[in-house]
Amino acid sequence: MTGGERNPAAILAAEAEATTAASGGPAEQAGPRGRGPRAGNTTAYLQYVAGKLGGALVSMFAVLVTSFFLFRLIPGDPVKQMTGGRRVSSEQLAAMRTEFGLDQPVWKQFTDYCGNVLTGDFGTSYQFHTPVMDKITEALGPTLWLTGTAYVLYTLIGIWLGTRTAWRNGRLGDRFHTGLALTLYSVPSFWLGLLLIITFSVGVGPLPGMFPTGGMESGDESGIGYVVDVAHHMVLPVVTLVAVGYAQTLLVMRSSLLDEMGSDYLTTARAKGLRDDLVRRRHAVPNALLPTVTLMFVNLGTVVAGAILVETVFSWPGLGGLFYQALSVPDLPLVQGLFFVFATAVILMNTVADVIYPLLDPRVGR
Amino acid sequence: MTTETASSLPAPQEPEKTGAPREAKSPRALAWTRRRHSAARFWREYRTHRAGLVGLVALVLIALAAVFAPLLVGADAQSVTQAPGEAMQSPSGEFPLGTDQFGRDLLALLVWGARISLTVGLLAAFLSVAIGTVVGITAGHFRGWYATVIMRVTDWFLVMPTLVLAIALASVMDRSVWTVILAIGVTTWPTTARLVRAQTLAVESRPYIERAQALGGGHGHIMARHVLPNVMPLVLAQTTLVISSAILTEATLAFLGLGDPTVVSWGGLLQDAREAGAVSAGDWWYLAPPGIAIAVVALAFTLCGRAVESVLNPRLGVSR
Amino acid sequence: MDTKDQHGRTRSSSAARAATAALSPKRRRPRLLLAAAAAAAFTLTAGLATPLNPAPQQAEAKDDGKKTLTVAVAQSVDSLSPFLAQRLLSTSIHRLTYEYLTNYDAKDNHAIPAFAEKWEPSADKLTWTYTIRSNSTWSDGKKATAEDAAWTFNKIMSKEGTASANSNFVTNFKKVTAPSPTKLVIELKKPQSTMAALDVPIVPKHVWEKVDDISKFNNDKDFPVVGNGPFILDDFKVDQYVKLKANKDFWRGSPKFDELVFKTYKDQDAAVAALKKGEVSFVAGQPALTPAQANGLKGESDIKVNEGPGRRFFALATNPGARTLDGKKFGDGHPALLDKRVRQALFLSVDRKTIVDKVFQGNAVEGAGYIPPRFSEYTWKPSPDQELGYDPKRAAKLLDEAGYEKKGGKRVGKDGKPLDFRILCHATDPNDKAVGKYLKEWWGDLGIGLKVNCLDDVSVPWYAGEYDLAFDGWSVNPDPDFVLGIHTCAALPEKAKESAATDNFICDKKFDELYDKQLAEYDPAKRAALVKQMQSWLYDSGYMNVMAYPNAVEAYRTDQIKSITTMPSAAGNIFGQDGYWSWWSAVPASGKSSSDGGSSTGVIIGIAVAAVVLAGGGVLIALRRRSTAEDRE
Repeated sequence: MTGGERNPAAILAAEAEATTAASGGPAEQAGPRGRGPRAGNTTAYLQYVAGKLGGALVSMFAVLVTSFFLFRLIPGDPVKQMTGGRRVSSEQLAAMRTEFGLDQPVWKQFTDYCGNVLTGDFGTSYQFHTPVMDKITEALGPTLWLTGTAYVLYTLIGIWLGTRTAWRNGRLGDRFHTGLALTLYSVPSFWLGLLLIITFSVGVGPLPGMFPTGGMESGDESGIGYVVDVAHHMVLPVVTLVAVGYAQTLLVMRSSLLDEMGSDYLTTARAKGLRDDLVRRRHAVPNALLPTVTLMFVNLGTVVAGAILVETVFSWPGLGGLFYQALSVPDLPLVQGLFFVFATAVILMNTVADVIYPLLDPRVGR
Repeated sequence: MTTETASSLPAPQEPEKTGAPREAKSPRALAWTRRRHSAARFWREYRTHRAGLVGLVALVLIALAAVFAPLLVGADAQSVTQAPGEAMQSPSGEFPLGTDQFGRDLLALLVWGARISLTVGLLAAFLSVAIGTVVGITAGHFRGWYATVIMRVTDWFLVMPTLVLAIALASVMDRSVWTVILAIGVTTWPTTARLVRAQTLAVESRPYIERAQALGGGHGHIMARHVLPNVMPLVLAQTTLVISSAILTEATLAFLGLGDPTVVSWGGLLQDAREAGAVSAGDWWYLAPPGIAIAVVALAFTLCGRAVESVLNPRLGVSR
Repeated sequence: MDTKDQHGRTRSSSAARAATAALSPKRRRPRLLLAAAAAAAFTLTAGLATPLNPAPQQAEAKDDGKKTLTVAVAQSVDSLSPFLAQRLLSTSIHRLTYEYLTNYDAKDNHAIPAFAEKWEPSADKLTWTYTIRSNSTWSDGKKATAEDAAWTFNKIMSKEGTASANSNFVTNFKKVTAPSPTKLVIELKKPQSTMAALDVPIVPKHVWEKVDDISKFNNDKDFPVVGNGPFILDDFKVDQYVKLKANKDFWRGSPKFDELVFKTYKDQDAAVAALKKGEVSFVAGQPALTPAQANGLKGESDIKVNEGPGRRFFALATNPGARTLDGKKFGDGHPALLDKRVRQALFLSVDRKTIVDKVFQGNAVEGAGYIPPRFSEYTWKPSPDQELGYDPKRAAKLLDEAGYEKKGGKRVGKDGKPLDFRILCHATDPNDKAVGKYLKEWWGDLGIGLKVNCLDDVSVPWYAGEYDLAFDGWSVNPDPDFVLGIHTCAALPEKAKESAATDNFICDKKFDELYDKQLAEYDPAKRAALVKQMQSWLYDSGYMNVMAYPNAVEAYRTDQIKSITTMPSAAGNIFGQDGYWSWWSAVPASGKSSSDGGSSTGVIIGIAVAAVVLAGGGVLIALRRRSTAEDRE
């Protein structure tokens, strides 16, 4: 979860899950999420996977229905938006309505829409006169670069710091890192972004503006220069995303490791005379990683929609900015398409997490 | 990410075992004594969490400032026609945080802004937790097709990108404080619903529920009298945490221009600052305080929530 | 693209390796290191390799002395097709890349020859004949002729979904033909005095007739795009930049800069910061720089802040009771506003000076007549006894007379209901919101309640007539026909709530008569007099309270731009002019251009990239190392 989509409640829930999952708690039986087949039965597993995939399909259809009908509630006359308030003859208006299928009854529009979506056609944007799919693929790249990089970084930092703080539970370092993470987690990402711009782009006092104020490239570089240029533009937005994002991984990793550390087998391992370091690396961390991995997948789904604010603040040419732009027109086909993509990403990643969980969990025999 | 904490929470208290009926008291009085005792125990535990205490103190101070804003900074601090200063003055003795583009005292606006930000945060969180609790308890109590359907709906809400959905809702409706509350409340309840449902399942598996049913307790009775009191601690912890995210979301929506522009809120102040061009002018004194205020309140609620959680669920290992 | 990828990968992995080598303590086992290095490498690759940007950059040397003028813009391009584009940025680009029949003089906005050398009406005023110049060539070498112009107009009049833009110019056209390469004939249904102000880009027929579906063709695939304006459209990346190169063969003479780049900065502060740093040469502001930004820039060396009279008026529109063409009433406008005294009382209680001083902080001119003073030919001011200045006492008296007495701080009508209005405001316009705050207090003092209703898209309640007052504003063209036409009865919607040309449902016989007269009046002076009469009527009606004419506030770097033509040339604006004068005339300052900024910061960039590597991989390794060191003790 990145950007504005942070929910401390979710952290705790995840932390809680960390403990139950890691200790093989009874959540496995009670959880409606279904932790998957326990026995190492391939058929059972395949059935389980099929069930999850079926569920994902149902969810995606529900998302399609929502995106189609929810945004119809936004007041606005599409044809009006297309002509931008110019005087247009009524014949020409009628022609435009026919072209966009707006003269059809709503149910017909919906079935047409569903049929088209199956073929990957999300309609034509009102304001850009381009297929929605093209706009989305155009903006998907920059978004994935930005949030993907941030994602990798904050996951790694979160795991490292989580491990470290858990191991040194209660000491100054732990308190400092946990406190810092929680504080950064409470900071509005857009505000942090603005402050970073003031400090590092505009420059404060003797500090010159070192980084670009926004955008993804200067537009006058090629080859290696281009690559460096994009990286240069990415620094501040990535720092923002990482700063507000790593707390979640840290806390989950920390609490699952803490839980793991109380386990008997670790005491046994220590008693065998293994070095602390080894005990941690060989035994505790791999087990504690499980819930974190689950969290990682779920977060991966939100990566797509996660950076609306940061993209807005840093003028990043990605999906978030596009969504906001589309919503304020409102450009219905584009809004619907983006909403579908955002939600589908989450559904898919949740499904992947569900599907691979039984494979990863060492306690589930194969 | 949500799954059940239920199993790791302390076993729901069974009425027979708690309380200390030394003298004959009415059941109601007994229940109250019991609750008073557990509240006291809760407070003793809570006090040992230093971070939780810090958070609580911060909240109390901010809440007091918000409640007494008219006395502290004057009732006409929001007036543009009676603004005391010039536009965009930097901090001085007269205006410790400077002035905004209308010449209003930013410190006063910050204090006033606490009212809206806290109100929206609290109401949205209550709405969200209320929906979540009702859904969770009923889904846990009724099982069967009702539970299947409603949990399906919950799951489905869970995969919706919250912020995207909230933005969509806020742009569908009028610009007002209520819209923001509704948008946040309606999009954030599924986490609570899942937690509460799991806890409900755990409570309902206790023998005394069966006994109550045998004695003729209806659905309503069981849910309200037996399940609800037992999920309340969890709901309380959850509320504190949801408030924190609700305040952040409120700021976000206001910043995106989806709040009510006629009221002063922290997110709204940030948007005003941005619209006025404070960023490139380097007017950090306009931009920094509202953000810090949001962060402090969100952090304070998170700290409280974590403390409450760890009192209720010591296994979490959230140490001070 | 391949090579770029290659570069990216090679570089990133070696950088990661270097980082690893530098930081790796000898006794570490390689597994974690590898993981960290791989992570760092992945991160970097993610940042560096860019298969997402397949458009190959021109591999030309950068220091060939090419003079580039970079303009920061806030808008993104909606379409590069002249048949679809509506946004100011897009139409400005078309002004630069295609010729229009006429242009406007930089000095005083009068129509001057462009693609047409001269134009004249027939005696019956219904046929206009344009003589097309013979020295204009398309950038692919073909001659530009009247045939191209006729084809363009006919396309706009067709039903092929080409009505998005410019359709308002052709609604009165009967027939457009090109009897010879230098002669264009337009036949009208009714006389129309605006025929020297047809702001329609003429496109090359030989290129555009090959387009399959014009309603979906955005003209952004084949660069350079064939055109005949002072610049040629050379490259475009959505939401990032539009590049134009100078048309050396332009008939009026080549522009002085070799390249003109419009670079998108969604955030105006980012654009201002970019100007300060020299990343861009010019910032337009959307629609103007804020006072704080302008003040911040005034202190900088090598930056000039240009304030010119704006083209927009900023007004308060009153709902006079929405109705259809055939007189059917709809909507729910407040009945009290049907009383002229109430409207005038609202007028009288708005302090325009405060609005200019406080909201615009001096960057605007106090409002009076409907057409901004920039258009000196048509602008009008009320006489002193006609003027409705700030006078709350007189406003209160008018309200008393109209039957709205003040009871307990609230004005109450004869029906016992308090006087409460709603005002529609654009959520995206800070000025609307700011003025709304003042109105609420001013009218509150009078005893009138006000609910400020801000929306992203106000068009729905607006067209449904479901508002009492609304913030209104139009960008006025050198020819005032359009902004006058939107207040005529003919502009009313055919059906209730349907979108129509009307601005706020004004329909008055006297105004319409004057409108028809000015449209048929081909004598400029007489026409101007009629236009002024119309403004006088509008002022007295109390329907349109023009509060201010916001100035255009923009800034440019004097070390990159030596001189630039404003419009009007005495003291005017630069961005969004009615002609192409600013960019066509801009003279580069010696030595520097905005693209230099990129290479001079190369060192810093390198450091920054290294910092990312360190952050991504090195820090982790270091942390790891430290922690084990402690544990070993």
